[in-house]
Amino acid sequence: MGGVRLLRFGAGLACLLVLAAALAQPVELDTRVFAIARQLRCPVCTSESVADSSVELAQQMRQIIKAQLEEGRSEREILAFFQARYGDWILLDPPKRGLHLLVWVLPVAGAAVGVGALVVLGRRWVRRSQEPVAVDPEDVARVRSELEGRSP
Amino acid sequence: MRSRGLLMTVLVVGALGGLFAFGLLRGEPDRDIPSALIGRPAPAFELPLYERYAPEYGPTLALSELAGRPLVVNFWASWCAPCYDEAPVLQAYWREYQDTDVVFVGVQTQDRGKRAEGRAFIEQFGLTFPNVVDDDSLVSVDWGLFGVPETFFVARDGTVLDKHIGPVTPEVMDRQLAALLR
Repeated sequence: MGGVRLLRFGAGLACLLVLAAALAQPVELDTRVFAIARQLRCPVCTSESVADSSVELAQQMRQIIKAQLEEGRSEREILAFFQARYGDWILLDPPKRGLHLLVWVLPVAGAAVGVGALVVLGRRWVRRSQEPVAVDPEDVARVRSELEGRSP
Repeated sequence: MRSRGLLMTVLVVGALGGLFAFGLLRGEPDRDIPSALIGRPAPAFELPLYERYAPEYGPTLALSELAGRPLVVNFWASWCAPCYDEAPVLQAYWREYQDTDVVFVGVQTQDRGKRAEGRAFIEQFGLTFPNVVDDDSLVSVDWGLFGVPETFFVARDGTVLDKHIGPVTPEVMDRQLAALLR
C-alpha cells in the first residue's frame, strides 16, 4: 500500500517537473535571446540595442537569434553572424583589438595617471607642510614682545 | 611658472571643448559607415515577385538567376518618404539602361504585410524593373541594411562594389553605373 502511494507521489512529482521544465524552457530561451540582443546595436535606431527596440528589424533580429539558438549555435557564433553583415559597428561593446583597444585602455590608463598624480602631489603637499618655515627674525622678536607685553 | 600652468589649463580645456563641439556638429556619422559587404559576394536570396513581373520572371526571383550580370539592388519600403523621391530616378535610369546587361532589382523590406501599399508604390511610379517582397526582413539582415532606402551595386562577378545610403540621385547613378559597366 505504502509502495503504491510512493509510486503515485513519484509519478506526480515527475509530471510536475516535466511541466515546470516545459514552462521554463521558453523563458530560459528568451533570456538567452535578450542577453545576446543586448550586445547588438539596433541598425535602424539611435543609441538603442536590439533588445530595447521595438522596430520591425530589431524584432526580426531577435527572431534570428532565437532560431539560431534553437539550432544550437553558440553566442559567439551568433554575434559573428551579425558582425559579418554589419561589421564591428553592430557590437555595442567594441572588440578588444586594434584601434578599438583604445576605448578599453584609455579610461583605465587615465584613471591610473590621475591616481598617480594625486599620490605625488599629496606627498609633495605633506612634505611642504612639514618643512620649517623661514621667518624674519624681526617678526619673531615683535611677536615675542607682543606676547610678553600681554602676559599678566 | 604660473603663466605656464594657466596656458596648460587653457590648452586642455580648449582641446576638450573642441572635441565636444566636433561631436555635436558632425551629424549622424553612424549612418555613413561603409558596408561590411563591399568586396564580398552579394548574399543570395529568392523572394516572391509582385504579380506584374511574373510573365517575364515567374513567381519568384532568385539572385542566382541573374549571375554574370551587373546588378543595382534597391531596398525600399512603402512608409519611407525618401524612397518616393528616388523611385522616379531609378525608373528613369532603368529605362535608359535596360538594353544593357545591367539588371535593377527592387526589394520591399522592413514593411511586413504591406503588399497593397507596395503594389500602390510600384503603380505610382510605373516601376518596370522587377520588384520582390522581403516580408520577414531576413534579406535586410543578410545585406546588413541600416534603413531604407539603400542601394547596392553588384559587379558581374557577383561581388558588392559599393552601397549608397539614402535616396539615389542622377549623379550617384551616373557614377555607379559607369563603374558597373566598365
